[in-house]
Amino acid sequence: MSQPVAAVRHILIEGNKSYHNITEDLCSPTEKSPSREWIIAFSLATVFLGLYVFAIVWTVWKGIGEWGANRSINWAWDITNFVWWIGIGHAGTLISAILLLFRQRWRTGVNRAAEAMTIFAVICAGQFPIFHMGRVWLAFFIMPFPNTRGPLWTNFNSPLLWDVFAISTYFSVSLLFWYTGLVPDLATVRDRAKGFRKKMYELFSFGWTGSAKHWQRWEALSLVLAGISTPLVLSVHTIVSFDFATSVVPGWHTTIFPPYFVAGAVFSGFAMVQTLMIITRKVLNLQQYITINHIESMNKVIVLTGTIVGVAYLTELFIAWYSGYIYEQFAFYNRVFGIYWWSYFGMMFCNVLAPQVFWSRKLRRNIWWTFFLSIIINIGMWFERFVIIATTLARDFLPSSWSYYRPTWVEISIFTGTLGLFFFCYLIFCRVAPVVAIAEVKSILKMAGDQYIGPDAKHGHGEKAHHH
Amino acid sequence: MHHDNGIWVGAEDLMRDEAFAQSSQSEFSVENLDQTDGKWTASRRDFLKLMGFGLGAATIAASCEIPVKKAIPYVTKPDEIVPGVANYFASSFVEGGDYCAVLVKTREGRPIKIEGNTLSGVTNGGTSARAQASVLSLYDTRRIQNPGTVKDGQVEKQDWGVIDREVKAKLASGNIRILTNTIISPTAEKALGEFLAKYPAASVVSYDAVSAAALLEANQKCFGYRSFPHYKFDEASVICSFGADFLGTWGNPVQQAHDYAKGRKVAGKKHAKMSRHYQVEGYMSLTGSNADNRIQIRPSEMGAAISALYAEISGNGGGPKLNDKAAGAIKKMAKDLQAARGKSIVVSGSNNVAEQIIVNKINEMLGNLNNTIDFNGATFTRQGDERNVAKLIEEMNGGQVSTLIVWGANPAWELPNAAAFVEASKKVATRISFNTNLDETTLLCTHAAPAHHYLESWGDAQAKAGRYSLIQPTIAPLFATRQAEHSLLVWADSANLNANAEQPYYEYVKANWQNSIGAGQSKYLTQDAFWEMSLHDGVYENAPHDITAVFDAAVSVDTNAVTKPASSELEISFYETVNIGGGQYAHNPWLQEMPDPVTRTVWGNYLSIPLEWDGVNNIDGWKGLVDGDEVEVEVNGQKFTCAVVRNFGQAAGTVAIALGGGRTAGGCGVGYGINVNPILKQENGLTQYFAADVMVKPTGGKDKDFACVQHHHTMGVKAMGKEEGKVINADEKTLGWKGFQGSLTDRSIIFQTNIKDLQQLEHKLEEFHHEAEHLNSQTLYPDNKDYFGTGMKWGMYVDLNSCIGCGACQVACVSENNVPVVGKKEVARHHEMTWLRIDRYFYGDFENPKVVYQPMMCQHCDNAPCENVCPVNATNHSMEGLNQMAYNRCIGTRYCANNCPYKVRRFNWLDYTTADLWPSNEERVFQVEGENMPYYADNLVRMVLNPDVTVRTRGVIEKCSFCVQRIQEGKLTAKREGRAIMDNDVRTACQTACPTGAIIFGNLNNPDSEVSKAHKSAGALSYQVLEEINVRPGVQYTAKVHNANEELFS
Repeated sequence: MSQPVAAVRHILIEGNKSYHNITEDLCSPTEKSPSREWIIAFSLATVFLGLYVFAIVWTVWKGIGEWGANRSINWAWDITNFVWWIGIGHAGTLISAILLLFRQRWRTGVNRAAEAMTIFAVICAGQFPIFHMGRVWLAFFIMPFPNTRGPLWTNFNSPLLWDVFAISTYFSVSLLFWYTGLVPDLATVRDRAKGFRKKMYELFSFGWTGSAKHWQRWEALSLVLAGISTPLVLSVHTIVSFDFATSVVPGWHTTIFPPYFVAGAVFSGFAMVQTLMIITRKVLNLQQYITINHIESMNKVIVLTGTIVGVAYLTELFIAWYSGYIYEQFAFYNRVFGIYWWSYFGMMFCNVLAPQVFWSRKLRRNIWWTFFLSIIINIGMWFERFVIIATTLARDFLPSSWSYYRPTWVEISIFTGTLGLFFFCYLIFCRVAPVVAIAEVKSILKMAGDQYIGPDAKHGHGEKAHHH
Repeated sequence: MHHDNGIWVGAEDLMRDEAFAQSSQSEFSVENLDQTDGKWTASRRDFLKLMGFGLGAATIAASCEIPVKKAIPYVTKPDEIVPGVANYFASSFVEGGDYCAVLVKTREGRPIKIEGNTLSGVTNGGTSARAQASVLSLYDTRRIQNPGTVKDGQVEKQDWGVIDREVKAKLASGNIRILTNTIISPTAEKALGEFLAKYPAASVVSYDAVSAAALLEANQKCFGYRSFPHYKFDEASVICSFGADFLGTWGNPVQQAHDYAKGRKVAGKKHAKMSRHYQVEGYMSLTGSNADNRIQIRPSEMGAAISALYAEISGNGGGPKLNDKAAGAIKKMAKDLQAARGKSIVVSGSNNVAEQIIVNKINEMLGNLNNTIDFNGATFTRQGDERNVAKLIEEMNGGQVSTLIVWGANPAWELPNAAAFVEASKKVATRISFNTNLDETTLLCTHAAPAHHYLESWGDAQAKAGRYSLIQPTIAPLFATRQAEHSLLVWADSANLNANAEQPYYEYVKANWQNSIGAGQSKYLTQDAFWEMSLHDGVYENAPHDITAVFDAAVSVDTNAVTKPASSELEISFYETVNIGGGQYAHNPWLQEMPDPVTRTVWGNYLSIPLEWDGVNNIDGWKGLVDGDEVEVEVNGQKFTCAVVRNFGQAAGTVAIALGGGRTAGGCGVGYGINVNPILKQENGLTQYFAADVMVKPTGGKDKDFACVQHHHTMGVKAMGKEEGKVINADEKTLGWKGFQGSLTDRSIIFQTNIKDLQQLEHKLEEFHHEAEHLNSQTLYPDNKDYFGTGMKWGMYVDLNSCIGCGACQVACVSENNVPVVGKKEVARHHEMTWLRIDRYFYGDFENPKVVYQPMMCQHCDNAPCENVCPVNATNHSMEGLNQMAYNRCIGTRYCANNCPYKVRRFNWLDYTTADLWPSNEERVFQVEGENMPYYADNLVRMVLNPDVTVRTRGVIEKCSFCVQRIQEGKLTAKREGRAIMDNDVRTACQTACPTGAIIFGNLNNPDSEVSKAHKSAGALSYQVLEEINVRPGVQYTAKVHNANEELFS
């Protein structure tokens, strides 16, 4: 009770867990038969995944004309969804890389799931730039490879090409990082499994034995990958923002976009992590690993990044006015009060006003509030991208070409379909791999377990600890 | 192998050589394949190698797309046809009274493009949208393909011989009536004459779909000439039009536009002068949109307005009362007219004889007669009189007509009394149609004797007095059709028709030209040379020049005989559009998809309604209606339902709707728009194109496919602000989402001024250029100016003061560049594909705005924003300043289109051209034989494609190429001739189509090129759209200058 350490160090693992308890708790979801909730959720995700496949086939077969985009608004839901998904992925990288470098121990409870979320979100994001192409069967043209066409190279000036590099790098590094983290845990599952399962986990755990040398290399690799990932947190969304910032379109052509996009990405990513974690910890009974302290920490990040985003919105408006350039002024006037005013107000409310409730500690630590707001923020960040893309294109330089955009059933299906794709992947992940990093949690047990630093902690460290 | 039957395969065989016998036994054994000593010892590796090779070879062979090429060589190559080289033939576009002297471009024997004939004194090389689109009608699959009897809505095929026998038998007894639109062909008239001589009981009844009968009658009475005079708009300094759409549809619009534009060039900026144009009208016509001053009246006040001007000029009062505002304006206009005695023109589109007589009198009093109004150049494009049709209907009802021959006209649809005609026609035993399509009238007929399209015909035309032109076929008839003149001559047993000749009517025309039209000609030595040269030139002009018209003193001017203004709350105008006309062009997809210049709508006619300004921050449609809302319109007890379009310049208390919608048979226009012909009423037998007693009720419905290509129209309209208590920029007050959204209007897109403030605008533009240069010099990137310093640098110059918005360039571009037609639904979704569009902006007074038309095409920016964003380099810059599209490289990310500040890039959203691999996803816009087909789907329509231009597939971006195929052709010509390239070598399709010379194209690096000179002479008035954003466009515009009388309404 009078532990000086308790005041600054949160209890991150509750329930007086032993190492064995941890192994049992975290491996069991992969070993039990699926719960009813899981089956329902998985069926639903599969239905939406089916819808996604149908809508994509429809688009490729019939043409992009099946979407609501038009000669003025050539991008709409497609790129909105792309940026939204990419943004969501950012929390995973931030948690696993930057928080690792900053030695934030609370990350261990959520990093595995957040990284998985990153991978799946990037997969969803990647669908859009590919399938928004008019001739997707020639998508390989964007790869710079030696060829017999001249040789004809890609245009290295184009931000779309930068996107290709940024996202493929991001995806591969994230995947590597995630999988590296998984290896010791897969080995743990392997050791408990029998028969065919054992064979499979044997294969996927790369013969991990847990020797000191393994651990040493594993630690080194994790650090190296964290080092590589850290700049990616900033660079990926910076490059995505270049899709807009390097254009001439008033409302896109602004230098504030890179930091503003990165902050927004982290913001939306944490919101998505909250949404997922709150459900996962409940369904898989992991409240003792993903504690209210974790949730509070992430809410702090949310209120910070939400406010940064809010400042960016206001800065944009100020700069538009201050520029004295009427195209710029009108673009922002139109954003706020024009035809899509509702999306701007939706964005402002969801992203800037709503998260301010997290200044209250009580609400930060309230599961229901957190869940509700995480959904609100996800919606708000979607609106932000819609505002930037559709509203801007609807009213640019020449009034003669102004137009209006409405999505068709195909676009709506593709978007909801990617949600299906995401949850399809995530739900399978929950069943085959520990959603909380077993090894990493164990590594902090003595520093953050309630039996060590909690009010009832026994001072003789580790007498309850068992070794598996 | 030696056989017993005495056959051997070689000496060894014959000699029965042992080794040979052995080897021949094992001819097909593996030993002969490789050196394996007779053992097949393929290792696993060999097996894998061979399998790999086999699979690879099979995959490559199976997956390579092998295009099917059908290249069928000529057995005997025709002399003139060189594959890949176009031939041009002079001809004349004639449709009813519409006329244009043309050159027909043919490729490999197919006519594919219409160009203007610069030798013509009627059209001066200009064209109209209608003439440009006429080539498409040739390839209309819904043309009647053979003669026959008409039964159950179909033509039952019969041979011409059978038809001829049947018809001749019928013609032998009873009265015969030939119903036509205006015929301007002297040889056709001769043929008709022979027919009438053979059948004395026959007579010709002629009317026009949109009537000018009152004008013709007035001119007949006043001057003794039943024609339009030649209006010298180029010489007039004040022009006043009472509702006459002389730039679009009235008189001889191509020439009138040409002359009008001449008078609008701002010559010499210090002492700048240009004509001043007043337009008195209710709805905004194409001509009215070009006017310096519009005086808004209700359509029923037209007579009162004309009388008011007459009262001012003559000093004699009288006539009905006009609204005060217009009356005051007309007083001031009269002063202007009087100050320009002999140098003004007053015209009227009214179809009331008394009103036209007053206009004639005004012109006489103003001294315009024989000065700016010249009967030496009488125009014959309208000759009909609808009163004759009324008489014909009576005759038919009385059973006095036994045979009716319809030639080109469509009386069962295009007349106000069409229903009466349909009823009466049932009493006529034999009804024969020469019409090319199974239209409303042909469906009523007993016999179809379909005529050729003009591109398959021989013929001639005299559109203006003494200005003759020839029509020659540019392709062999596609179907078993026959020229109407030929049929008439056959039925008349003409001795002058050599029926056994290969082309009988050709010989007939030639004979008529040599013996009659060219009789006494002295231009050529022989009549043969006369014929050959006239055919080559397309025209033979021998215009009279000694006619002096005199106003017949016996004709009385009666201001009380004019139409009395109605007192109803709402009035409606019916007007002819430049594309669809009176409906006769409704079956041409190019014209249907060409936006109406003023309302910018396509595929149908919409009720144009005025807008209202609430004085604070909202501009909204009348009754709160928005574009596409459906209303029920009741006129004189007749009702129709249509969608509305909010239209600036539509006078309060009036609405308007175009003629020509709602065709019910004959082609692709069926089902688009509303047929308003039955609502038109006739006064003294003359069709009136307006009505009072109109009720408009919103139905609550919506046209979900309301197709309009421009939804935002204003560039700084001014209105009285309630809070400010003064006139304010209403656009900048209506920025919100409500009603009609305005914008901040100080945009560097349009610059305009009154001519008296020209110097101020010059200063402003100089400052603007300076500022833009300063901003553009801040770029971090190296200047690429020197890059284009040598060789060719293609550029364009568009004179906004000359552009009248007629749309000929747009259709020409569609025709030249194989631009697909996408149909109404796709246009409604903003998927139109036009490479060249004519943006139309309103400015000035909110209620009575002025208009500027801005042709907008790819600006070929030297620092093009589209180029650097394309990830695959599909769009890039040529060394000659062209922004190029490599369709094959395009993957369709559409980033270029987003980043184009001019929004001129067009994406192939769906398979509009059937260029795609999968037939199932074509965009089926058109009905062919009951089946929905995409445009370009049937092989006949595809014959119109320009083989020099790729047909684009789904999923790629396309846009204006500056007619790169023409540039290439011009360069090759110059190279072959070993000389530098000249202006005439390369002229873009839009440039040659333009009747006013508003578009000039050429090499900017050549200081002597037309484009460089035009650019230079415009000085500071020449600007680039969005000059300050450093995209460095290759197109220059000149500011719009108008010559408004600013005291008009004060």
